[in-house]
Amino acid sequence: MTLASCLILSAAVLCVGIYGLLTRKQAVAMLLSIELMANSANMVFASYGHFRGGPSAQVFVLFALAITVAEVAVGLALVMLLYRRHGDTALDLASEARQ
Amino acid sequence: MNTWLQVLTLDLAVAAGAAVVLILDAIGTVSGRALGWLTAGLLAAVLGASFVVDVSGTVPHGVYVSGDWVLFFKRVFLIAGMLAVLGSIDWLAERTPRRQAEYYALTLFSLTGMMVVPGARDWVLLLVAFELMGIPLYVLAAWAKTDGQPQDEKLGPEAGLKLFVTGAASSAFTIFGLGLVIGETGSTAISALPAQPTQLTFVGMLMVIAGLGFKLGAVPFHMWVPDTYQGAPTPFVAFLSVAPKAGGLAALSVVTLTGWSAHQGLWATAIAVIAAASMLVGNLFALPQTDVRRLLGFSGVAQIGYVLIALGAGSQEGVAMALFFIATYVFTNLGAFLVVHAAAQASGGHETVKLAGLSRRTPWLGASLLVFLLSLAGIPFVLGFWAKLFVFVAAWRAGLSGLVVLGVVVAVLGLFYYLTVARSTFMAEGHTAEPVRAPMGLKVSIAVCLAAVVGLGLWPRPLVDEANKAASSFLQKR
Repeated sequence: MTLASCLILSAAVLCVGIYGLLTRKQAVAMLLSIELMANSANMVFASYGHFRGGPSAQVFVLFALAITVAEVAVGLALVMLLYRRHGDTALDLASEARQ
Repeated sequence: MNTWLQVLTLDLAVAAGAAVVLILDAIGTVSGRALGWLTAGLLAAVLGASFVVDVSGTVPHGVYVSGDWVLFFKRVFLIAGMLAVLGSIDWLAERTPRRQAEYYALTLFSLTGMMVVPGARDWVLLLVAFELMGIPLYVLAAWAKTDGQPQDEKLGPEAGLKLFVTGAASSAFTIFGLGLVIGETGSTAISALPAQPTQLTFVGMLMVIAGLGFKLGAVPFHMWVPDTYQGAPTPFVAFLSVAPKAGGLAALSVVTLTGWSAHQGLWATAIAVIAAASMLVGNLFALPQTDVRRLLGFSGVAQIGYVLIALGAGSQEGVAMALFFIATYVFTNLGAFLVVHAAAQASGGHETVKLAGLSRRTPWLGASLLVFLLSLAGIPFVLGFWAKLFVFVAAWRAGLSGLVVLGVVVAVLGLFYYLTVARSTFMAEGHTAEPVRAPMGLKVSIAVCLAAVVGLGLWPRPLVDEANKAASSFLQKR
């Protein structure tokens, strides 16, 4: 296992996340995709921490985790709110041409 | 030399204010309106203190550097926060009477994050401050959860979720990019970039720039703008459309000009592409909009394009003019949104047609809306004209002639949709002649914006001097 293969794996996970975000219409699936993207970023830090050593990457990943948790807590509350209002969690991101 | 506690006095005062608001609410003796006025008063006091208290200095390890640059941004944030809170007081008291304190506290928390961003010189602090600014905004965007017309019921939570999904995805994107940059350089200092960055570092830098562009509402992370502006409470949108953009500009300038100043060739192209795309997309999509909030949203995307031109110039003049532009934008856009809010409260909708005859119903509101729109369009001798002119001059001197030409062309395009709204306000026959009654806080807020736009439009010198001072202190201390 090398640093390069770990980084390729993280990039692949990031791409899966982006793909899910763009194709899924359900807010819960979008949240999952965002989690994938966030964790792929953490994998980058973990790989550098493992192969290059040094404290900065490992310290940073703790902050990144805390931030992601805070974000998802708010996100889940918003999904709950959408469900209660509408009885459905479908979300159309690409409605910019709507008038 | 100031200790770190003194350097962060203003930020800590705002954070403490949020705690005080929450405690007063828990005790339950203070009415919601009083809390609103208290919050606005607190922000005014902190703004006053920023002229008196000396907060310059550097926090140990150089993680946070304060000076004229930071003060300029802090004042912009405080003014935007104060005006937006003043504009929200009555809307909150009427529409969501049971959760007013939380709104003010969240605004103050978001402001705390914003105020830390311009001074941050370390990735950890920058990211935490940036997210502290962003996360309360997701909540505030979904504030109107039970309000609005029946067909609008879904808009509130949708507004929050769209802001959240784009925001969380772009911050994951930023963190991924940071992983590459920090991993390759082995340090969390923003300035730690080797003279010859590896390809992976370069990819990371691009991802960071794109991710930070989200708060600016710059293309490609602009999809949330129109829907969020439409669904979120309008007084909050007035805040959202200016303060986080200034925060995003602060973060982007800190990253590009302090850390990566030696690699301007690498990021200047990225910024120029984002600027051109934002101007084009913003102006073109604004044309067919019938809802004034969506129209102003796309116009905001376009305005950010102009700011990015100035930043892309990379010169001291460019940075100074970006600051000048964003400061003028705060007054202009906040004022425009608040007038639209006042008119919509009385007319029952935010469509352009609902504004018809506003100048006859309430002349001073119609006149202020006209001034704000002309300023956004960049008509001579209103504040926005100087902002656009100075930005174009700075960019031209830095050799960005192509971007300047594009900017001028799309600015003419912008004139068309701004004047469509103005025409509806002044020429069209209104469906009612009933005057619009704006509550006290809203009146004060609009009057301050109007005074600033007209006053600084006639005599922009003091603000230009301040922006120059801020830019020179920033570029010397990097």
